[in-house]
Amino acid sequence: MSTPSADVLAVLEATFDAVVIMDDRGRILAFNRSAEEMFGYRTADALGRNVSMLMTGVDRATHDDNLKRYLGGGESRVLGKGRDVMVRHRDGSEFSVFLSVGRIPNTEPPQFIGFLHDTSLRRRALATLQHERELNRLYLDLAQVMLVATDRAGVIQLVNQRAIRVLGRQEADLIGQPWADCCVAPHDRPLARAAYRALLMSGSDEPQSCEYHVRTFDGDERFVTWRGVALRDGGETPTGILLSGEDITDQRRAEGEAHKAMERMNSVARLATMGEMAAGISHELNQPLAAIANYAQACARLLRTPAADLPEVTGALDQISSQALRAGEIIRRIRSLVRNEDVRRERHDINGLIREVHALLATDARVHDGRLILDLGEPLPPVTVDGVQIQQVMMNLVHNAFEAQGLEPHDGVPFEVRIATTLTETGDVEVSVSDFGPGLEGDVEQKIFEPFFTTKATGTGLGLAISRSIIKAHDARLGYRANQPRGACFFFVLPALQEASR
Amino acid sequence: MKDLPSTVFVVDDDDAVRNSLKLLLKSAGIAAESAASAQEFLSTYDSSQPGCLVLDVRMPGMSGLEMQHELNVRGAIIPVIFISGHGDIPMAVEAMQHGAFDFLQKPFRDQDLLDRVQRALARDAENRTRLRLTDRIRERLSTLSPREREVLQLVTQGKANKMVAGDLGVSQRTVEIHRAHVMQKMEAGSLAELVRMMMTVAQ
Repeated sequence: MSTPSADVLAVLEATFDAVVIMDDRGRILAFNRSAEEMFGYRTADALGRNVSMLMTGVDRATHDDNLKRYLGGGESRVLGKGRDVMVRHRDGSEFSVFLSVGRIPNTEPPQFIGFLHDTSLRRRALATLQHERELNRLYLDLAQVMLVATDRAGVIQLVNQRAIRVLGRQEADLIGQPWADCCVAPHDRPLARAAYRALLMSGSDEPQSCEYHVRTFDGDERFVTWRGVALRDGGETPTGILLSGEDITDQRRAEGEAHKAMERMNSVARLATMGEMAAGISHELNQPLAAIANYAQACARLLRTPAADLPEVTGALDQISSQALRAGEIIRRIRSLVRNEDVRRERHDINGLIREVHALLATDARVHDGRLILDLGEPLPPVTVDGVQIQQVMMNLVHNAFEAQGLEPHDGVPFEVRIATTLTETGDVEVSVSDFGPGLEGDVEQKIFEPFFTTKATGTGLGLAISRSIIKAHDARLGYRANQPRGACFFFVLPALQEASR
Repeated sequence: MKDLPSTVFVVDDDDAVRNSLKLLLKSAGIAAESAASAQEFLSTYDSSQPGCLVLDVRMPGMSGLEMQHELNVRGAIIPVIFISGHGDIPMAVEAMQHGAFDFLQKPFRDQDLLDRVQRALARDAENRTRLRLTDRIRERLSTLSPREREVLQLVTQGKANKMVAGDLGVSQRTVEIHRAHVMQKMEAGSLAELVRMMMTVAQ
């Protein structure tokens, strides 16, 4: 095995390409600095090793055989031809190089020289450029906004996928068309044109916003919020406009629905608080009352003992008076609650208010396995009421009605609650809630509106009292009459809104 | 071991209710201690202290029902009388299902509370006596040899010495000796007493 001369090696060191010389058995005889850099082996480590360690795949596996075949007089598929091959770095990574191999003349046994040119960098650069172009288009298309570029005259130059999708048209049908005439909803075209002119005239690079409808291919309209910016190709005068638009049709719709749902929730919450408030009130009041009872009873016991501890009795009496004051304070708070600081009396259609809470009321019916019947008179004059408060009263009355009937077996008796609205002789609006339960006995009828009076095991005795105070605040009266043929009927008459006062 | 004197523990977050209850119990000659929260009570509670609990249902933090649950988990046997400011039937039912001794709605007549407290204290004393008794019986049982245990089992099933001897394959004389040891170790004066002891343990 003869090594290349010092002259040759010096030349190789100066070569930019990686150069590897091998002998007839594939052993590395020379490995220049560029090769060191390319493959990560030090020359001293590479020398004498089989060159196939630098190869990958099939090349690596068949190199020795191919070499033998060539040396035995076979054709070479490699010599004198440059080709791209994948090679292997010392760290195992693979990369592509441009390889040309030649047989060194006058060497016996023959030696071969390989020049390797790293093409992966160039490739990568090319691929990156291509990739970036695709990416730009992708970004344009992936953008969650509609992008539309027009020239000065408003003729479409470019649209992205999002815009194409919203407009429901082909790209080819849009390019070259006038934007406003082709895509803007007719009633919004003046608006769109004005915004367009303003943008061209402004001379500013600041984006400007506007909102208008576009018309889709199907003739639908989508509501879009736009930001427009003037395009200037270096010069002062705008050459066109770039519009980015967001289709907010669904969002607007959802907002509207959310708003309505929120309002419903609020009124449900206020309706629910009536029962909870009552429970809270009785708990709050029972605390000081319990303390008063305990203290008073303790005093009585202490005073019965021969040598009563008088300071202790005095302390307990002080506590009794302060707890009585505490109870009074709670009652004052309740009264201010029931007086309802934020009464919002507005013009309402009573039937509309009832229909609004019908779904909620129907749950009560389902729980009691009964029916809720609406018997609403039409047409009725409008009334000025706090809608939610009237709905609270309706909830309470209907709830009571179902509960009253739930107390006894109802064989053959229709298990239903009827809400009726009628026009009275005086032209006012009567609302009634009737059931087919046991109705009210004589003395109960007297007490039913009294606070804390209840016939129910879990009742607080506040529902009807609060309902009555609400109705009273509406210049009306919550009344009771027996229902025919049986049951109870609660009713109130709301004064009709006079035409003159509208 | 003699029991410590019984104490009524009042747990209620409302200062006025808590203090008035303590005074009421004191005026009736009953020792009372109080805590303003379930956590405060649980952190100092010694289950060997006999007594009963007067527990408010609705408290911020851990509610009365949650505290009852915690006591059950700890295996405490203290009787619990719930007091509530609002007559909540489902809540009362739940409390009773979980072993509450009684349920009172605030405000209450002093005699109603004191009667229940006395009954709860009596129940607690009973429970503790029974527990102590079973502990003692178990202790004695543990001193028996395996053979003596077999004899005990058969004898308390009502078998005569002769039958026991047959069952165990030993002489009647041997059974008599084992039986005497059992009676002695168990400190039983009669077979009837021995049977009663076994029933107590089985409970």
